[in-house]
Amino acid sequence: MSVMMLVVVIAGRRTGLPAPAVNSVIDLASITPVPRAAPHVAGLAALRSRPLTVIDCRAALGLEPEGGAAARRRAVVVEHEGHLYGLLVDAADAIVASRAEAGPIGADPGPGWREVASGRIETEAGALLVLDLAVLIQGVGARAAAA
Amino acid sequence: MDDLLTEFVAETREMLGALASEVVAWEADPADRARLDTIFRFVHTVKGNCGFFDFPRLAALSHAAEDALADVRAGQRSADRRLVDAVLAVLDRIGAMIEEIERGASLDDGNDEPLIAALKGEAEPADAPASMPAGSTPVSPATAEQRTIRLPVELIDQVMSGVSEMVLARNDLARRMQAMGGDCGLEAPFSRLSALLSEVRDAITRTRMRRIDGLFATFPRLVRDLSADLGKQVFVELENGEVELDREMIELIRDPLVHIIRNAVDHGIESPAERRAAGKREAGLLTVSARQTGNTIHIGIMDDGRGIDADRLAAKALAAGIRTGEQIAAMSREEKIELVYEPGLSTAESVTAISGRGVGMDVVRANIEKFGGSLEIESLPGEGTRFQIRVPLTLSILPSVTVEAGGQTFAVPRSYVEEIVSTAGGNLEFDEVGDRRFLTFRGRRLPCISLGETFGLADVGAGEDEDASLFMILRLGWGDFYALAVDRIFDHHELVIKPLSPGIMQCGLFVGCTQLDDGTPVLVLDVAAIGYGAGIPRELRRPGIAAVAATPAEREALRVVLLHGLDGERRAIAMSAVEQVERVASAAVRHPGPGARIVLGEEILPLAGVSGTGDLPEWLTVLRLGDGQRRVAYAAREVLEIASLTGAVSPVEGRPGLAGVTLIDGEPAELVDCHALFARHANAAAPALSCRLAGEADGWMRSFLGPIVEAAGYRIAAEGEPADIAFIEDEDGGAAAGIRKAIRLSDRPEDVPGAGIYRYDRAALMAALLRAGQELAA
Repeated sequence: MSVMMLVVVIAGRRTGLPAPAVNSVIDLASITPVPRAAPHVAGLAALRSRPLTVIDCRAALGLEPEGGAAARRRAVVVEHEGHLYGLLVDAADAIVASRAEAGPIGADPGPGWREVASGRIETEAGALLVLDLAVLIQGVGARAAAA
Repeated sequence: MDDLLTEFVAETREMLGALASEVVAWEADPADRARLDTIFRFVHTVKGNCGFFDFPRLAALSHAAEDALADVRAGQRSADRRLVDAVLAVLDRIGAMIEEIERGASLDDGNDEPLIAALKGEAEPADAPASMPAGSTPVSPATAEQRTIRLPVELIDQVMSGVSEMVLARNDLARRMQAMGGDCGLEAPFSRLSALLSEVRDAITRTRMRRIDGLFATFPRLVRDLSADLGKQVFVELENGEVELDREMIELIRDPLVHIIRNAVDHGIESPAERRAAGKREAGLLTVSARQTGNTIHIGIMDDGRGIDADRLAAKALAAGIRTGEQIAAMSREEKIELVYEPGLSTAESVTAISGRGVGMDVVRANIEKFGGSLEIESLPGEGTRFQIRVPLTLSILPSVTVEAGGQTFAVPRSYVEEIVSTAGGNLEFDEVGDRRFLTFRGRRLPCISLGETFGLADVGAGEDEDASLFMILRLGWGDFYALAVDRIFDHHELVIKPLSPGIMQCGLFVGCTQLDDGTPVLVLDVAAIGYGAGIPRELRRPGIAAVAATPAEREALRVVLLHGLDGERRAIAMSAVEQVERVASAAVRHPGPGARIVLGEEILPLAGVSGTGDLPEWLTVLRLGDGQRRVAYAAREVLEIASLTGAVSPVEGRPGLAGVTLIDGEPAELVDCHALFARHANAAAPALSCRLAGEADGWMRSFLGPIVEAAGYRIAAEGEPADIAFIEDEDGGAAAGIRKAIRLSDRPEDVPGAGIYRYDRAALMAALLRAGQELAA
């Protein structure tokens, strides 16, 4: 069975989010920082009248910052447990059809990625890591600290 | 009370409806604990509500059912067939009674004895479920009072969020129209749309919101009745009943609140004799307060009773086998207090009709948690107990103040803001204790917390002037105050609060977020968490309460005489200063104006409250004021009443005779400054020294010197009248006749020996006048 996947570029790597989980892709005009929040929480923005918690995906993966969240404005809007989140990514443009069901990741994709990926999927655009939204929103660092 | 009753009926019927399936399931499996608990809660709630209204039959019935079910819960009795039947019959009977109540029929002379006996296991229940009382018809007649419908809350939420979106869209449109500049021909329809939208928003908001005071208002009566039954004295203090709460939420918190109040009066507050023995005043104090923080309402119920006996609770838990000895040994006091939530555990020695057998707290907490709230208990032995209920308010309009710190905007719920003060005036006092700064405000030392520092934000504004800063004096519940330093304060807003995602809530400093008109998200501060997080001590006992005697409000307030001044102004004079009030003909007044005198019997008194201009009415009301030695009269048109000065007095500029302006019974009144009055008039009293202004001809003396002379307490002598002192000009040489003392004036600023005082040297003139007065008096 074919699944539609949104190709999302994080830290230069192509990954995938199941398209039905994605609300929209927007460019954020401004982000209100949240003092004392976890480092991967870039701040708050608004999608019409709903608040949007902005997640810096690169920081959520526990990767070194590069250029900083300020430079990135493209956000993938998803809804998770009743709250809206904006995932800051390098790019999110193509939606592709998968060739098969998602399967195991196989070889270790490296630090950060191994926690945040729930599997691997073959698509028209090649193999993509499937992102686990819950982990991304919670942040890999936070999860490690809690464990 | 009528709408309370309607709600009671609707609520009970709804619960009965929901219970129908539970009852059937319970019947099939009487051992099902969850079903049993549900039914138990229902009868418990009905019992609680009955005590509130006056339905003795309903109360007796539900109490009996509660007793029986409690025995089953405690394992002292098994849920056999007979009991199940009896309980079902009771539920049916309750349903029938509710119908009766709704029709307005009185619940008369039904016989519930067989049913109650059946519940006690003493007799077979009546075969059929209770029949309707004779003569009643089960058809509910249509009532034409108020047409209401019940709507699912989700639907209203949906409409509300739609309206919020429309407001944002309107604001966006307004900005674009402004950017287009001038006249685009759309202004009129736009403003019409805008007004309509505001109306719709208000209306839809109102559908959900209701002030909590409607609920609070029922508590004093409840407490009065309870304390009368128990032979106790309890004062109820209600605070901030203006908080608005979701209709639905008010319904949900009613039972838990009533229950906690019952417990507080019954178990918390001691009998007058015990209280006296403990060195407290005989009447206990129960405070019920409500406060809104973002999307949370904090409801506090505090008593100053005996507190919870943690050790006895622990002993009971041990005896009941709920906890082992080891577990108890490892428990802190707080954890022991938490034991009150254990089902079937109570510290009360005896079971009373009021709070029953202590089943309360587990039911109460379950009810509160069911709708996403929480319940906290804090208790100090001998000092009292405070319950804090937090209930969510996911959709609410919050009056807020927006502030800036470290270049970022935040919102502070207005209900916490006591006052805003600035160091710009230079009249604030600070103390440093270690690293903590304290601000002295109205005689209290308040710890200061910098919002920018708390958030680790760069201090952008403080560069040029370290000391100039703004402080918001915040009042947390229970009278804990602190001063929050911010960089700027913008404005008041009515903001719609939205919940934050768990990731942001985790940091615990915010209660929600909101959007300004331009759509920018703004975080709403949890000022309590910020304050306590920065180490503000929690005070269980509010300062001053113990010291205040029987009637706190009356004792504290200054009693004043309220009057209409001659100029028509509403004024108040401290009651303690007034010796006598009388009606006097205006002929008794001499020299109307600042130096006026009045003849009262044998006395001639300085008269205040008359202006020099304008005619006097034929009759005046004169208040004789005294300070124990001297007397001053005060003229008024009429005396209105005696009142208590309860509000704050705000000072007025440039009115030396007034202490300030205050509100009495909702209307402004000027408070007369008795000190200034006596300082000014009594000085010159009996007999006042007079001063002749000699150089009358050039008018300079009267117009320039006159005010200074009067301010020094002299009366200006009429022409030709002998005077105590006089001013003479250098050139005049000799003193005029009838002058006891002369002050010589000079035209030249230079200090020439032998010459008079330079005529514009105000300080020297005042000094000379005072010295002359002293010399003459001696």
